[in-house]
Amino acid sequence: MLQFAEKIFKEPWQEFLEIIQKFLPNMLTSILILVLGFITAWIIRIVIGKIVNLLKVDKFFSNTGIARNLEKSGIKKSPIKVLRQLLYWTIVFIFAIFALIFLKVPVMENLLERFFLYLPNVFIAALLLIIGYLVANFVGRVMLITQVNAGVKYAGILSKAVKFIIIIFAFAMAIEQLGIGRETVLIAFAITFGGIVLALALALGFGGKDIAKDFLEKKFKGSSKDDDTFKHL
Amino acid sequence: MMTKHSDILLEDVRRKVSEIGHADILVGIPSYNNAGTIGHVVKAVQTGLLKYFSDRRSILVNSDGGSIDNTIDIVQESSIDLNSILIHHNEEKLFKITTPYQGIPGKGSAFRTIFEIAKALNVKACAVVDSDLRSITPEWIELLITPVLNGGFDFVAPYYHRHKYDGTITNSIIYPVTRMLYGKCIRQPIGGDFGFSGKLAEFYADKKVWKTDVARFGIDIWMTTTAVANGFKICQSFLGAKIHDPKDPATGLSTMLHQVVSALFKLMEEYSSVWKTVHDSENIPTFGFVYTVGLEPVNVNLLPMIDNFRLGVKELSILYKDFLSLELQESLSGMIDQPEDKFVFPDEIWAKILYDFAIACHKKIMSTEHIIKSLTPLYLGKVASFVIELKDADSVEVEQRLESLCLTFQKEKPYLIDRWEK
Repeated sequence: MLQFAEKIFKEPWQEFLEIIQKFLPNMLTSILILVLGFITAWIIRIVIGKIVNLLKVDKFFSNTGIARNLEKSGIKKSPIKVLRQLLYWTIVFIFAIFALIFLKVPVMENLLERFFLYLPNVFIAALLLIIGYLVANFVGRVMLITQVNAGVKYAGILSKAVKFIIIIFAFAMAIEQLGIGRETVLIAFAITFGGIVLALALALGFGGKDIAKDFLEKKFKGSSKDDDTFKHL
Repeated sequence: MMTKHSDILLEDVRRKVSEIGHADILVGIPSYNNAGTIGHVVKAVQTGLLKYFSDRRSILVNSDGGSIDNTIDIVQESSIDLNSILIHHNEEKLFKITTPYQGIPGKGSAFRTIFEIAKALNVKACAVVDSDLRSITPEWIELLITPVLNGGFDFVAPYYHRHKYDGTITNSIIYPVTRMLYGKCIRQPIGGDFGFSGKLAEFYADKKVWKTDVARFGIDIWMTTTAVANGFKICQSFLGAKIHDPKDPATGLSTMLHQVVSALFKLMEEYSSVWKTVHDSENIPTFGFVYTVGLEPVNVNLLPMIDNFRLGVKELSILYKDFLSLELQESLSGMIDQPEDKFVFPDEIWAKILYDFAIACHKKIMSTEHIIKSLTPLYLGKVASFVIELKDADSVEVEQRLESLCLTFQKEKPYLIDRWEK
């Protein structure tokens, strides 16, 4: 009976204690690493803040229009504050990863390995979205100004459409990079994009043939007699 | 003595400059595919030099941008029949150099070569004239050179009679803004045909701008502003009518506007300490016999201009709200409903709009090119308003109207100064 009780209670308890004995130092090390991470991040944030103030980087962001663009995107904080926060949490995140590694739990190790393999995809996808957003804004603005100066009536709608297409394109590329519904996204994008091009071609063919004719005539035959002979300079 | 800057001159030019040694007068002609007109320009310059400065050592420099027509051959072969213009003169005192220029393609680089040759030859007076001129006469050379040689002036701006609808960027932007900024009434700051002293040519050549946009475009406003803002003695000469070949049609209005206005705004950055202290404007000495000239008619198609203005105000408001004051945005919105025949663009609004555009470029609110190109519809609105208002006006009334515009720019200058540093 005593032997049975030993087998049922004592041995597992001892095993549990052994596991705890093995795990506890790892956990303490992990907690220590995490605390160290927070302290390091805090110190770096302060040091970076001082350097940035010294170099007047805030003025640079303001002068180059980056601050204004971020504000327009809904980020009300100054770019320096955003960068400092980003740096702070990146450092904490790196230390947290180390902390998890030091736990030496096989399941966690497996998860971390998969996570690390997937991480570049997330970065590339984020980069694609950021670049897509910036390019869309730039091209949209160029389109808007050029079309207005050329006297195109629906310049606003056209430039918004171009901006939207670029953002959708960047989004599709990002989703594809993440490997989410790869085929579906590609097919959906191809159908939408092809549809838009076809619609535009038909619209120009039926509705805008006269405008296209006038445009080509002006381009290749030169201006008509009724046009301005202004010399602006 | 050749300086290190003259390494932009080709070997054979340096050799020729050494052979000539020294000259009193230099006339530069920048060119690029101007075979149709440059012959006339060269002949007018040669005649002017021989007729009015026969006792001086003179040189004609053609700085070419790689013409593929026979521009260079025409320059080299162009000569005048002295008997036909009743001149008896020894041509040994008149030299000619034709050279392709080095550096970034553009009129500025062509001028740099001319300045460097002037510096190397230690000339007393220089002039530059465009190669597409059809109305140039030998008297232009006298009028551009004499104030420097005999009057002690460093910079001679051209003063032309132009059709009231001609040179609208000059009339509505460049002239009023330059006058407001630097306080001198230079009527044609971007005329393109200038006279200047050897001292100023050296000053220009030594400026470190030849790898910037100045080398490509905006050299005219750069020359005028550099002379005025650095305290050189300036004047203007009446040259008659300016008739020249139409500019490259591929260069659209908004590109042209961007080139000229961006050069003006960049100079505002450089000389902000100068213009902030100027609160008034004064006339400058004007030489030459002013007479009325027959001008080529100018066709005006008003409706597309007003339509473009309306479209711009509607569609570009998304950009304007980033740099135009609320008051100006509201004023513009109010203007789009005016009937075409009574369309008015008030001077005060126009001046403040230009100031807000300059401030937007100064503060880099977005790309300078985007900011300035978005000015095009508003500029067309202002031009349309001018055309309607001056429909029946003669040249005197037009000048009076421009005077009133300039005074409005001066009155609104505190608006610019207040916002510039904020």
